[in-house]
Order: sequence, then structure tokens, then C-alpha cells
Amino acid sequence: MKRLLSLGVLVLLTVASIVVAQTAGTPSSGQGTLRTASGDRPITYVIQSGQTYVSATEVAQGLGGSVESDSNGFKVTVSGSVAAFGPDSRYGVIRDDLIEMPVPPIAIEGRPYVPWQFFQGFLGRSAQDVTWDANTRVLAVRPQQRDAVGVQVSVANVQGISKIVLTLSASAEYAVAKEPSGYVVRFRSPLRAPFGEQTYEDPYIAKLTFIANELRIQLTSPDVVGDAYQLENPPRIVLDLRKGAAPVPGALQPSGVPPRPQDAPGIHTIVIDPGHGGKEVGAVGPGGLYEKDVTLAVSQKLAASLAAKTGARVVLTREDDSIVSLDQRTAIANQYKADLFLSVHMNAAVAPNAKGSETYYLSLEASDELAKKAAETENAAAAADPASDLKLILWDLAQQAYIGESSRFAQAIQEEMSSATGVGNRGVKQAPFKVLVGATMPAALVEVGFISNPEEEAKLQSAAFQAAIVDAITRAVTRYKTDYETRIGVTPPPAPATATAPATSTQAPAPAPAQTQTPAPATPQTRTER
Amino acid sequence: MKRVAVFALAVLALAGACKKKNELAANINAANKVSNRVARFYYESGDMQLIAESRNIALPENPAAAIPVVARELMKGPAGKTAFRLFPPDTLVRGAYLLPGGNVIVDLGGPTLQKGWETGSHTEIMAIHSLVQTITSNFSDARRVRVLVNGSPAETLAGHISLARPFGPDTSLVEPRSR
Repeated sequence: MKRLLSLGVLVLLTVASIVVAQTAGTPSSGQGTLRTASGDRPITYVIQSGQTYVSATEVAQGLGGSVESDSNGFKVTVSGSVAAFGPDSRYGVIRDDLIEMPVPPIAIEGRPYVPWQFFQGFLGRSAQDVTWDANTRVLAVRPQQRDAVGVQVSVANVQGISKIVLTLSASAEYAVAKEPSGYVVRFRSPLRAPFGEQTYEDPYIAKLTFIANELRIQLTSPDVVGDAYQLENPPRIVLDLRKGAAPVPGALQPSGVPPRPQDAPGIHTIVIDPGHGGKEVGAVGPGGLYEKDVTLAVSQKLAASLAAKTGARVVLTREDDSIVSLDQRTAIANQYKADLFLSVHMNAAVAPNAKGSETYYLSLEASDELAKKAAETENAAAAADPASDLKLILWDLAQQAYIGESSRFAQAIQEEMSSATGVGNRGVKQAPFKVLVGATMPAALVEVGFISNPEEEAKLQSAAFQAAIVDAITRAVTRYKTDYETRIGVTPPPAPATATAPATSTQAPAPAPAQTQTPAPATPQTRTER
Repeated sequence: MKRVAVFALAVLALAGACKKKNELAANINAANKVSNRVARFYYESGDMQLIAESRNIALPENPAAAIPVVARELMKGPAGKTAFRLFPPDTLVRGAYLLPGGNVIVDLGGPTLQKGWETGSHTEIMAIHSLVQTITSNFSDARRVRVLVNGSPAETLAGHISLARPFGPDTSLVEPRSR
């Protein structure tokens, strides 16, 4: 009986060890081939938990390079380019950029093995395509097809619209067609797709699949309808999907430009961005006041005030306690072809007596240096993928084109805030605020006061103080609008006595209600004049 | 005897199952010579500027190995009562890597940064620059710092400042005597 019991325990433990080993993924290895223009050579590969790893040293040597180890990890050098990777991280590093791998590298007998995708990310930056054929065990490295278009995909659902943004490495011809299961975007050029297939937890989008030159969008329901439009700098295709009354037959038609009050130069559309929202509460005051609640209350009052005083169309990026991503906030402003963008925030500091307001516009320092770097590495960057420095720099430059006007706008806000609200003046500053990057219009961010200071927290929730803030910002916008329109010759210069009078004295249009509906699909164009 | 054999086999089976699959870390941690030196750590002063606090700590002589030590020491907070901690107390420095060309990648983590740091842009800016100033002022090889969260690129630390780019030192945020 005891013998039987011992045997049973042994069998159980052995089975357990096999199960655990299989869960961890017992590696299997073999001899594969590195295929380059100069011929084939053998490399060692390992398959573990479904992931194929290749010997970093053998592949690097096969490409005429080397692998060195140091105290932080490994450095791979190929054709003068250096990339680094370390243990337990699925991110390698190349210059200031990251190479994403599906899993971290592993070591076998002290030798580093990397997911084959490491070389795809590494060599992709020097205009080479890397593919792994699981059947033939061939890692092929070849020059990128010159006409292949790189695609990056982002998906977000905002205010009831699911938005797919395809950021392209270059402008490309495409057509969008409706099919029973969803939509298909067909490109004329070959694509460098970021993935084969990806599923989404989205109300309207079930799955995206790249097949050859197509992106297939599988919808969750047949009554989802959409609009497609293009954006420039960088080239993007945007598909807005929403619940419709009936399926739209046939090809998807590009949508038109959203209605604007006027197309003439001047300030006709203002986007106000109440900071934070939803579970992103922002800073919290010592008395429990949430930044997101004050920003919304102030922004709603400001929208009504601006619409009444300036006659401009005023759009809020959120009108309730919802989450809106930082990119989406700027995208809404761009989509509406806004002429001004203002993000409203409350500040916080560790020093309990911190007080005062400050107004920011986008930092120039980093962008200047990056622009210089782009010029130095123009050739290399031009061949890089859509996530390259160049693309990011171009996107930074979208706001840089308006940086002078943003500075004037920020100055006007800060002057009115400090003179009217009685809070301390912390001045106009620059910083790389995410929400300002990519705005194609003068843009600023105002930090109204320090919610972390008990005295300012009490002020910030009082209706009287909020009204004073709204009045101050309204005066600042009106002043900037008058000044700007005078400079571009739209409005005659005001008489000295009325230089700071409200815009209503120089503006004829009847007050319009603040428009806070969800953004209409649009075809924004990059404006180059200001 | 048979019982002993069974037990030995069982132990072997368990050892096989539990064997660590990733042995890379042990292979790349080269021994470093360590010596005591004075390092400067930046926190916020009552005047809302960065102020330096000096500490004598044991550091590897190799900057690449010393940078993560200094970054972790910063997260312990100020020793003096006149300065304020900027990063949340539960912030972890998961790693810090010095790259050729002077860029440093600092990988941060911890519960607060993971779930979303609820603070204002002032604290966010000052926290980033306390890290940048601490690293660049102590290591001449380090020129710019890029911040990751939990091993991945993050948009921001607290909803304001873009982490897409490395940060260089900004002495306008530093109290004149601490520059």
C-alpha cells in the first residue's frame, strides 16, 4: 500500500513538473537560415511559448556586425548603427527611440537570443525589411520596397464615435469600400503593416486585419456607419464610425468640410478644453475638490461667455464627466478648423502655500534641437518608419508654425488673469504639454490657480471667483481676437479710447449659443498662414 | 531505501519544474568597483524651485552602473525639512540605462504612476526636472533623460507633460545657489 502511495506521489509530481515546464514553454531549437543579398548562412533559432528567438550574435555577425555585453545589457552594432537590449525588458533602444519586442530577450548558456522582431525594428530604421518564415525557418533581410507605405494604427472611442486613425509614412492613393462585415481600405501601394490582425474592445470595431494592400475593418454590427477623410502633415486617413439608422450601401464617401460661420480670415471658431475628466480626476485639493470638476464648470461658463461676447463658434472638447484622450482633444480642435485652442487646468504643488496663475504655450527648446537634428540626419530620417523622429518633429512643427501667435495669446490671458482675479501672477511659460503638441492653431494652457492650496481651493469652487476667471479669459480672447484681426487687416484698428473694449463693440454678428456637440467629420487642411 | 529514492526523484522533478528560464540577468551584471562620493539630489524648495541636497553615498565608479543607484536614492526623498519630495513616495526606479551619446533612459514604476498620478502640471514638471537635474549634474556623460513607465513609453506622468522626448537640464527651474 505504502509502495503504491509513493508511486502515486511520484507520478503526480512528475506530471506536475511536465505541466509547469510546458506552461513556461519548453524551448525547442534548430538551425535556420539568415538570407541576405550576399547569400545564406546558418543561424540558431529557439522557439519558446510560441515565440521564435534568434541568436543575436549569429545574426549580427551574419550582417557584418557584432554583439558586445556591458554592465547594463547588450549592444548590437550593424553597419555603424547601434541598438541595445537588456534582460527582462521587451524594449530595445536605438538612438532616442525604442524597439518594441513581443517578449523580452532570453539567454541560453549565457548567449543572448532576441525575438526575431528585434531585428525587424532595428534594421527597419535603416530601410531594410526583415521577415521570418516559420515554415522554411528563414530570416530574410532585404532592402525595403521603395514604394511601400508604412502604416501606424490608433483606435479610440470618443463621445460616441469610434475613430480609426491610419498614420502613413507618405501620402498614398486609397479607396474605402463597404462590405457585409464592415469596411475595407484598399491602397495602391504595398504596405508595411504594424500587425496582421488585432481585435478591439470597442463598441463598433471588432477586428482590424491587414492583408496585402488592404486593411479590413470588421464591425460589431451591420448598422454601424462611417465617414472617411484625410489629414495632412503627417498624412493620415481617419475613419469615424458611429451607430446609423441603416447600413450605408456601396462605397464610403469622403465627408465634406464642417460648416464654419465664415471662411474669411479671422477668429471664428474657438475650442475650449476642460482638463482631465472621468477617472482621470487631475489634481485633488486638500478639501477633496477635483480639478476635473472645476475645469468643466469654468469651461462651460467660458464657452457661453465667449459665444455671447465674440460671436465665434465655441466648441468644448468634453461637456460632461467623460474621458477624452490628450491626442483627441487636439484632434477635435483641428477637425473643427479652430482658430484658437485653450486648455483649462488647475495647478498643484508640494509646497502648501503655492499660489497664483500661470499660462503656458508649447516649449520651443526641445523642438528646435530636434529640428536641427532632423536636418543633420535628413537622409536617414526620410527613409525611416512612421514613428520616426522626423514624423514626430513634423507633428511638433504643426504647433511651432503658430508659436508666435500662441505666445501673444498666452500673454493676453496671463495679463487679464493676474489683473482681474487677484491671484498671484506666475507669468507666461513654455513646456512640452502633450495637449498642445499638434494643434494647428494658436494654442495655450492656463493654470488658473493652485487647488493644492486650501485658500485657493476654496476660491476655485466659489461661483464669484469662477465668474471672475471667465470674465478675465473672455476679455483676453476678445483682446487677442481684435489685435489679431487688426494685424491681418480684417478689422480696422480701434480708436485708442476703445482699445481694450469688448469685441462686441467692433463685432456685428448676433450672439451664438456655444456649440458643444460631438465633432463632425471633417477634412481639415494644414493652414500655413497666420 | 525505496522511500529515499522516491523522495530524491520527487525533489528532482520539482527542481526541474521550478528552474528559472531566464538567466540573462546574471550574465550581464559585471562587477563594478564601488567607492564613496558626494552626490547632489534635487527636490523642491519652499520657493517652488529645485534645491540641491548633498549626500555621501557608495557608488559604482562606472557611470552606467551608478546612474540607477543615484536615481533610486533620489526617490527616498529629502533628508532636510526645508525641501519637498516631488515624486510619489511609492515610485520605483525599475532601471536606468546610459546610452552612447549621453541619453539616459529611466524606467519608473510603482502603484501611483501605474494607476494615474493625480497632481498638477507644476509638480509634474518639477518632478521630471528633479530627476533630470540629479542625473545630469552628477554624471558628465549624461546629457538628456528620457522617462519610461513600467518599461514602456508613456504619454505623460500625470496628464500634462509629454514624455515622447528626452529632457535636457533646465537651470531656470533651479535655485541659483544649487545650479
